[in-house]
Amino acid sequence: MSRISIALTAALITGSLQAQESIPEYQDPLEGIQIHEGKGYQFERSSLRALDVHDPIEGVNRRIYRFNARFDQFVYLPVVNTYEWATPRFVRTGVSNVFNNLADIPNLGNSILQGKVRKSMRTTARLLFNTTLGVVGLFDVAEKMGLPQQSEDFGQTLGFYRVPPGPYLVIPFLGPSNLRDATGQGVDWAMEDYVEFLNNREIKNNNPSIWALQAVDLRYKNPFRYGALDSPFEYSQVRYLYTKFRELQIEQ
Amino acid sequence: MPRLILPLLFSALAFLASAAHADDFSYPDINAFLSTIGGTPEPLQAVVPAEPNIQQEDLRVRVLPDRKLPPAFDFYTKMGFRVAWHDDPAPLVFLIAGSGSSYDSARLDYLKALFWQAGMHVIVMSSPTNYDFIAAASTSGLPGLGRRDARDLHTAMSVALEHARNKTGLEATEFRMVGFSLGAMNAAFVSELDEHLGQFDFTRVLMLNPPVNLYNSIRRLDALSHTDVPGVDSTESFYEHIFDKLSRYFALRGDTDIEDTLFAGIQTSEEALSDAEMAMLVGAVFRFAAADLNFMADLINGQGRYAPTRQKVTVSTSLTPYLRRALFCDFGCYVRNQLWPDWHSRNAEGTLEDMAYETSLKSIGEHIENNPHMAVLTNADDFILTRDDYHYLAETFGERAFLYPRGGHGGNLRHHDVTARMLNFLEGTTP
Repeated sequence: MSRISIALTAALITGSLQAQESIPEYQDPLEGIQIHEGKGYQFERSSLRALDVHDPIEGVNRRIYRFNARFDQFVYLPVVNTYEWATPRFVRTGVSNVFNNLADIPNLGNSILQGKVRKSMRTTARLLFNTTLGVVGLFDVAEKMGLPQQSEDFGQTLGFYRVPPGPYLVIPFLGPSNLRDATGQGVDWAMEDYVEFLNNREIKNNNPSIWALQAVDLRYKNPFRYGALDSPFEYSQVRYLYTKFRELQIEQ
Repeated sequence: MPRLILPLLFSALAFLASAAHADDFSYPDINAFLSTIGGTPEPLQAVVPAEPNIQQEDLRVRVLPDRKLPPAFDFYTKMGFRVAWHDDPAPLVFLIAGSGSSYDSARLDYLKALFWQAGMHVIVMSSPTNYDFIAAASTSGLPGLGRRDARDLHTAMSVALEHARNKTGLEATEFRMVGFSLGAMNAAFVSELDEHLGQFDFTRVLMLNPPVNLYNSIRRLDALSHTDVPGVDSTESFYEHIFDKLSRYFALRGDTDIEDTLFAGIQTSEEALSDAEMAMLVGAVFRFAAADLNFMADLINGQGRYAPTRQKVTVSTSLTPYLRRALFCDFGCYVRNQLWPDWHSRNAEGTLEDMAYETSLKSIGEHIENNPHMAVLTNADDFILTRDDYHYLAETFGERAFLYPRGGHGGNLRHHDVTARMLNFLEGTTP
């Protein structure tokens, strides 16, 4: 009896010793894929193509890009940080919601212009619910009802009708754009002016600080940070990403 | 381009939580590339405090008084670093980023929060191979040699500590060091150097996913950018291929929101990325880091091959032609074309193998073998290691080698078992 238990204990001890010494078995993940060096140059070819964005005034654009980055670093972000420090989150969310609600006007206009019936109806419903139940847009009740915001701007509308992006532009304060999207931005502003939803222009013009709040909110909502790409080639990379992102938006 | 995608993809992966493995490690049984990109599924992560609740600041300080850069890059004459501190005296841990990563990368930010929460001050340093460190703190402008990088890094750490003390008033009771990937190798060399200098007297040095021989690992990583991706022929672009997948995925969902769960969403849809596509993405990110390195090393040394010469570069100078050229030069090409001539001019008798040996852990084997304050943590499927490298780490470190069966290159660093192991080693009285 006791001999068996000794033998068992001994077996257990050696067993656990063996377990301690064994290490997880090496696996080479490279064995599961095909690697062909010196053939195809897929990476190089793809990357070179990505750098091919029509940018005839690159010198000017780069200066504006740098100006925007500095403005962001010394003015815009410090203001946004103060805003975040001084206000509770629900206030900031409310502010964003109000401006988002106003933005549903061009969203609706452009959905209609592109003949997107379903999107137009959803955005109309959003405007109705958020303006009434959501108290002039303070609460995004429509999102909770399964109607998230679907942005459509005039740049997208032009893209939808196969208007090419044209030369790449960096707009002071606003950042990456192109001739098509910058034009679209102007049309969207004109559209908002014309509709004058909830008298927002008049109210803003009487209280210029609302313009400032809108500018702060615009940056607060945008997660992009200069330097986040961690590369001396950030300008070229942002240029490609902006172009691709707009293509994605236009296709939807 | 993929460099933006990766951090986005990196954030969350809340699926595939079941592992059919016999071991007791609950990390999902997934491919090493998916681990590396997707990280640890959220339910398995150790929870760390969010940014607003951490007392931290990003500081900049001059390390090299004589370093001058063209106006377009004058921002980088000062070295940036991040410090998170406590009001009471505490141990201070230096965190060193991996190749091509700066002090504010997402992976390091998580580790910073983890160590800060455990009561340590944390100073986060960019990798000596990252362009910001090269610009501000690399004396030669040519990183990639173990001992020389250690001298630069040691100096940079001393200057950063001094600056952080002045700005925050932090008091350090002892010093520890944690490095990831190439940063782990840097940590080992800094530890060896400090043994001679006796300045920090590190009480713990933890190496996360280190290479054993830097140039071996570089070869393997460079190779990933030559992955054959089925479905992409020689006239198509790999990025367009990925964006097409994204586009189809968004069309299905009806929006274009890029959110934390984007990657998890795609991987559970019909548009899931294949192993080859993920390997290519990892390789591409590494190649873009190599392009940055080639550019900055050349800008400092003024050869005019991958960067304009100093006189020529202004704020409006297009850098795109240089990026075009630099994209053709991978890390191996950097080693051969920029590092080797420099090393060879000082070691006329030496071979490329000699130079490689000097930047391998084996060259400081004595220091790491007999050092109970040093540990290594890595995975059996970390693709920067060869089979020999992996076994070298296991044998050299013995019970100070924390080896996991899965996790790729750093994919499991947020797993609660893994973080517990790290903290246990850093805080333990006996290793």
